[in-house]
Amino acid sequence: MRKFDTILIAVIACMITFTSSVYASEKTEDVNAEIVREQTVQSKIDDIGAKLLNANKTPNRVVFVYNKAAKKVFLKYDTTLTSRKIVLYDGTYKFTDSDDEIAAFLARNIVLAARSYDGQFSGELNTVQIMASPKKYEVIADKLAVDMMVAAGYNPLGLITFINKSCPQRRFDMISSKNLTSKRLAIIYEYIVNKYPYFLVNNTYINNEHYQNFLLTSQNNRRLLKKKLETGSKEKIKYE
Amino acid sequence: MNKFFGILLGILLLVSPVLANEPLRDELVDTVLINQDCPKPEPNLNYNYEGTERVEIKMAIVDAIKSEMDVYENQPVKFRVINDVHYKGKVIIKRHTIVPAKVAVVIRSGMNGIPASIVFGNFEFENIDNKLLSNFYEVRGQDRSLLVFPLKWALTILPPSGSLTNFIKGGHAKVKKDRVIKIYYHPTWANSRQENTKL
Repeated sequence: MRKFDTILIAVIACMITFTSSVYASEKTEDVNAEIVREQTVQSKIDDIGAKLLNANKTPNRVVFVYNKAAKKVFLKYDTTLTSRKIVLYDGTYKFTDSDDEIAAFLARNIVLAARSYDGQFSGELNTVQIMASPKKYEVIADKLAVDMMVAAGYNPLGLITFINKSCPQRRFDMISSKNLTSKRLAIIYEYIVNKYPYFLVNNTYINNEHYQNFLLTSQNNRRLLKKKLETGSKEKIKYE
Repeated sequence: MNKFFGILLGILLLVSPVLANEPLRDELVDTVLINQDCPKPEPNLNYNYEGTERVEIKMAIVDAIKSEMDVYENQPVKFRVINDVHYKGKVIIKRHTIVPAKVAVVIRSGMNGIPASIVFGNFEFENIDNKLLSNFYEVRGQDRSLLVFPLKWALTILPPSGSLTNFIKGGHAKVKKDRVIKIYYHPTWANSRQENTKL
């Protein structure tokens, strides 16, 4: 009987050791796979970011960081303007399907980061202005991001699909620090129509579901733009 | 019999989901843009930033702009070169040369004394590649935020008077004919990276 007990204990001990080692090796593999994934994403955004900076002759240093934290926590300081570090959170990264869309996110932030270098007190005043007037600079960043993307060889329609996917639609923007997403999209679309119509005439995004959704939800705004173009008016359109 | 199958095939094609799910067309493109000249924008990918040389080009606007309200984005504007521009002992741009450019972005003046801006871009010189020039030149209005922010902070002890400073608007962006606008030509940023890599 004692012999049987000893064998049983030995078998159980072997099983526990085997199971734990398998579990540990699986866990290590998961951790390694996660590290490799993070390195791949980091390397991708580094390459796209550097390409945007170089193609646009941006004379200021900007770094790019991929952060796995799901979402920016409330009141967390945005490092884009202070330390010129653009953080791409996993919560934002998951909305990107292509290099165009990653470039769209990075280009928007590069515009603001580069702007925070200029002006008085080593750019401190510009930084405060951007923070005090986020709505105004949101639109400027969108427009200049289109220029940056085109100069770096990306399709600016990626900015439309990225914003269409990732930015929710509020009810009003009168007392808000953000513009209505539909308004932003219409302004970007108008900017592309005026400056880079090539991308609309040779539209590679026409079969993209998110671009189609933009076309569907921007019917009224596009009607207003069409009217403006047909009449040759230079008035600013009040998009909805 | 063949006729029957032909009609059946036609009906099937008409009700086919392939046709039913045809993506939305962009009407604006089909009606307005299709008749326009839409050149393919050239990306700037063959850069080589080894060189540090730069040549200053001083210009003045041909027609003055009184306010950012008078211009629109993508509006063509003209500048005149003020002095002869030399490089390696040769005149590369003659004085009084007219330089077409465009208004890239217009930033309206805002609350908190934030000034208006006009950003000029797409400077076109006959004998210089646009990619070797500064991208943009920005003209700003009077920056009143230097006054507004300290005043706002000083008035925080008397609420809500500090918030009233929000309504101070920034200055308009004006470009007078005598205003000197400087952009830079980087002759050594020649597109030679590919050539170097081949070597």
